[in-house]
Amino acid sequence: MTIVEELERAGLTGRGGAAFSTAIKVRAAHDNDADLVVNACDGEVGARKDAWVVEHHLAELVEGARLVTSGRRDRVTYAAHRGSRTADLLTRAGLEVLDVPARYVSSEETAILSLLHGGLAKPMTKRLPFVYGGRDSLGKRIAPTVVLNAETVWRVSQVRRNGPDWFRRFGTDTEPGPRLVSVGGAVAHPGIFEVGSGVPIRDLLDAAGGLEPRVPALLVGGLGGVLLTTDEAATTAWSGPGMAAYGGSMGAGVIEALDPTRCPLDVVTDLVTYGAGESAGQCGPCMFGLPAVAESWAELARDPNQQTLDRLQDRLGVIPGRGACHHPDGVTRFVGSALRVLMPHIHEHVAGPCPLGRSRHAVH
Amino acid sequence: MTGQTLWFISRATGTVSLILFTTIVVLGMVIAGRRAPHGDSATIVMGLHRWLSLGSLAFLALHIVTAIADGYVSVGWLSTILPFTSVYRTFWVGLGTLAVDILLAVVVTSYLRHRMPERSWKAIHWLSYAMWPFALIHGFAMGTASEPLLRWLTVLCGAAGAAAVAWRLRTTHADRERRALVNFQEWS
Amino acid sequence: MPSTDREVGVRIAVDRVLCTGHGVCARTLPGRIRLDEWGYPIVEAVAVDPVDADLAVKLCPARALYLR
Ligand SMILES: Cc1cc2nc3c(=O)[nH]c(=O)nc-3n(C[C@H](O)[C@H](O)[C@H](O)COP(=O)(O)O)c2cc1C
Ligand code: SF4
Ligand code: SF4
Repeated sequence: MTIVEELERAGLTGRGGAAFSTAIKVRAAHDNDADLVVNACDGEVGARKDAWVVEHHLAELVEGARLVTSGRRDRVTYAAHRGSRTADLLTRAGLEVLDVPARYVSSEETAILSLLHGGLAKPMTKRLPFVYGGRDSLGKRIAPTVVLNAETVWRVSQVRRNGPDWFRRFGTDTEPGPRLVSVGGAVAHPGIFEVGSGVPIRDLLDAAGGLEPRVPALLVGGLGGVLLTTDEAATTAWSGPGMAAYGGSMGAGVIEALDPTRCPLDVVTDLVTYGAGESAGQCGPCMFGLPAVAESWAELARDPNQQTLDRLQDRLGVIPGRGACHHPDGVTRFVGSALRVLMPHIHEHVAGPCPLGRSRHAVH
Repeated sequence: MTGQTLWFISRATGTVSLILFTTIVVLGMVIAGRRAPHGDSATIVMGLHRWLSLGSLAFLALHIVTAIADGYVSVGWLSTILPFTSVYRTFWVGLGTLAVDILLAVVVTSYLRHRMPERSWKAIHWLSYAMWPFALIHGFAMGTASEPLLRWLTVLCGAAGAAAVAWRLRTTHADRERRALVNFQEWS
Repeated sequence: MPSTDREVGVRIAVDRVLCTGHGVCARTLPGRIRLDEWGYPIVEAVAVDPVDADLAVKLCPARALYLR
């Protein structure tokens, strides 16, 4: 069996966020004689799993890359954030490392490709997937290249070694295979856990030693994910359908418990402000829209009123799908979920000081 | 047609071409320098910019053909494309030829814009800033002092273009500023 | 705008990196494209009449409109 057939049978999907069929990507890579970039950036807020793969399974990672590039090691580049421990480990192993600026959007696949081809680490317009080769907006040639997440590549070698049937013993029929989750924030023992799709999120939190008292909400999937209440998290399965009920996905596998000592509205302000600042400044709706969303949110947190709420909702409705990359989609999705989850809390702010008695709002 | 008539037509079409080029270049700068809320007028400006460039070619062609056919001075067909090959006033005619070459390159690449790399189109389009003064100087030098009206028209074109350049250098808009601001950050 | 037109025609898209917010497309494709509060296009109907689309593509100063 070829590796593509094995991947097809295993049903491996990308572990970098989009959960697209890895078999299809690898087949296209073979058909187009594409180079491979292994994405080990861990760019998502709270993501640490690819660092873990590099630290503990480097030999298998290299083996997976070899399988994707039909044994041609010179076709593989490892992308890692500049100055990260991951970059250091990869370099010391004698691998070809692309030093990616340590910022959120630069770890998006086409930003990495642009950087790899001598451009800036900013996403490119995808008229066609770059596995076929293509051009950036100004017409510079981009050689056929496939970008796979580090965990995905590690799983490729596992599928070869242990077989598709072994792989399918984990997870569900539609979402097979083991997958990594970084659980962090306000939990007793933050860490990386390997589970199959379908386990209760509660089990993941227990594995991390449980939530600290009074955690106001959980961020699932980082800045490109959604906020859940602790009750929702306690009753939801870690699976595509489970997360879809809240507009989210398993994404890049991150669960962060929000800091119980801070007002969650402020935490969201910080996150969305960070997200707005990460815009690559290329697409109008992103470079102007996200700062506008951040501003509306901050205003809502400071002085909740209907007019501000309406303006925020208008903006959230108009931005998604209008960037060269999915960054604006992710941030607006996150803010939309924060609005849903924290609406009761916003109403409490209208009535008086922050009911959680948290720091900043003592001045009310 | 007498040489006199040809000479006259050549003068007239040359002058009209110069006025058209000036207009086109100024409109181009208006497009580059302005953004919302000028969407409506921008559409007209863009349409004019495009169609006038095509229209100007007719006047330019007539200008060149009559200048050569006139026979009064020896310019030669080669000089319509190869700069500085004219026997008659080699340098000043040569500037005109250069302007023609650039103009053709700019017009052709603009009609092929969707089939070529954007940055090549951009590089060639920037040459317009050289084309226009070449044409202007050519017009000024070749115009005789006996026609003050033509001289003044040329000077007027120069003033209008210079004013547009000055405006373009000073003007800015939110899109450009935000892009520049973000580019200051670490991206490589 | 006849609503039946919306289902036929060519598919139009915006290269968001190239688009610098000239706003011309909102005029060349009225009812199909409108501008957001920052002056950037919102494509409301992807399918547009081929002749209209061709003109709009030509008149976009930033070459940002393209047919898919
Ligand atoms: C803003 C943004 C940031 C991203 N950051 C990462 C990242 O840090 N690591 C990663 O593997 N994928 C990241 N992705 C997803 C990649 O673009 C890409 O889908 C992935 O690397 C493909 O690998 P996969 O098919 O194996 O999942 C990001 C996407 C976006 C839109
Ligand atoms: S959507 Fe935003 S982050 Fe993505 S390429 Fe455009 S400007 Fe950059
Ligand atoms: S005309 Fe072109 S540059 Fe202007 S807003 Fe439309 S797509 Fe953007």
